[in-house]
Amino acid sequence: MLRALLSGLGWRKGIWGCAFSSWQPHQPPAGLSATEVVSHWTVVFEEKGIPEARESSEYIVAHVLGAKTFQSLRPALRTQPLTPWQLQCIQELSSYRLQRMPVQYILGEWDFQGLNLKMAPPVFIPRPETEELVEWVLEEVTQGPRVVGAEGGPLILEVGCGSGAISLSLLSRLPQRVGGGPWSPSLVSEHPASHVPLFLGQSRVTAVDKGEAAICLTHENAQRLRLQDRIQIVPFDVTLVESWAHLLPWGPVDLVVSNPPYVFHRDMENLAPEILRYEDPVALDGGEEGMDIITHILALAPQLLKDSGSIFLEVDPRHPELVGSWLQSQPDLPLNLVAVRRDFRGRPRFLHIRRSGPQRVSPVDAWPGRQPARVPG
Amino acid sequence: MSTSGLFRFPAPLTRVCPVPWGLRLCEKLPLLSPGTVATPVQAAGKKDRPTLLSLDERELEEQFVKGHGPGGQATNKTSNCVVLRHVPSGIVVKCHQTRSVDQNRKLARRILQEKVDVFYNGENSLVCREKREAEKRKQERKKRAKETLEKKKLLKEQWESSKNVP
Repeated sequence: MLRALLSGLGWRKGIWGCAFSSWQPHQPPAGLSATEVVSHWTVVFEEKGIPEARESSEYIVAHVLGAKTFQSLRPALRTQPLTPWQLQCIQELSSYRLQRMPVQYILGEWDFQGLNLKMAPPVFIPRPETEELVEWVLEEVTQGPRVVGAEGGPLILEVGCGSGAISLSLLSRLPQRVGGGPWSPSLVSEHPASHVPLFLGQSRVTAVDKGEAAICLTHENAQRLRLQDRIQIVPFDVTLVESWAHLLPWGPVDLVVSNPPYVFHRDMENLAPEILRYEDPVALDGGEEGMDIITHILALAPQLLKDSGSIFLEVDPRHPELVGSWLQSQPDLPLNLVAVRRDFRGRPRFLHIRRSGPQRVSPVDAWPGRQPARVPG
Repeated sequence: MSTSGLFRFPAPLTRVCPVPWGLRLCEKLPLLSPGTVATPVQAAGKKDRPTLLSLDERELEEQFVKGHGPGGQATNKTSNCVVLRHVPSGIVVKCHQTRSVDQNRKLARRILQEKVDVFYNGENSLVCREKREAEKRKQERKKRAKETLEKKKLLKEQWESSKNVP
């Protein structure tokens, strides 16, 4: 009877469906309310040394009841008895938590900047700090000097898009059409592939990632949010210098944004099992001083950025100094560290680097068939 | 901020956060940026809505969940409860409404702003006044509906009686 119920009803669930199991360890007694079930699993998690025992339990139970957080559940829903089916699903999801799976992977979805995104291992789970990176970029774009060119915009490149969190939240917050003045019919053109009128005066993103799973997940999230017309998702490894030319057709851009892998290699082994067992280490490991990907992005950026274009990075708190020194050691790179911003814990976490001066050919550049240097001004 | 389809699949709108049962949805309060310290919190409000009592960031104490660890990529925490205290009045608001620390901080300020208003202005606070106005409007609607119903009844009776005239 329960099996039929489970297979028949298609409710929103994590990537692992609710399978009926006759062996049910830790199962609470029947007839309990949501609040009581949360307490039950909190105790189970605590006994097994699972971090955030209460929060994990609350998220799982809320999810089964169709809510995003436990506190947002109506009080009536919290006190009425749960059905056997609900208890079974909570049991299933909780068993994954006992394996130290991150809650976001268990639920198969998570929120970022008000958007709901699908989550799937091993694609990196967006961190809360990164929401502030997006806020900062938005502030600069809307309040700073106009970053729009003839095409409207801004045009943005994100390096290491993962689930698409940064790109999609920027797109959802940036107006479809930026800049003053009335809408003009001449700005509309037909997009050849989809025959959808493509408004040239809109912000667009090119999102790149080295991982295939990330490319797929960003695609899926873009479609979920109906932003697929404003984002290009491209497989790309920023450490492969010979591949940089492939991005040129999508440039020059107004902004480069990234939350690159920035963990110091020696710190990797100290990461929690939630991270080590389930998230892609490539998305985390930044090399010896956590700078490998950062320096590649900075080296590439001037070739893709417009004059006075900006780079926004999330980094380790030790990096502002290291990045400052590194930039000084690269006099040929027309970049300046203009600002460091702290996260909500007060740690220096975000960098704003600005490209200075007109675009010119890099002396190190030796690619065949490269575009000629832009005429300044 | 327009109402988004909370029960449809998400549209690319911002800041949709389930509001606790019983709390009015204050639609027009501007989204706050806690990073800008010392900016008084104000409600933009509709044109005819008076401003809520402002909150000064300097009078607020904020707490996040302890034991956050190194933070950033090195940590994966889902606990984003915000505890916000208004020092002069001693009012404390705890917000774990959404999955976002940022959102919870903003919501906490919004909730605190109303509570502080009630604390200092009592019956004259915006919350109480709007409640009374809403109740008044509801009573007026009820009265009008009743009047309309009675009119209809009267007309029907008149029509019925006119039918019977030979």
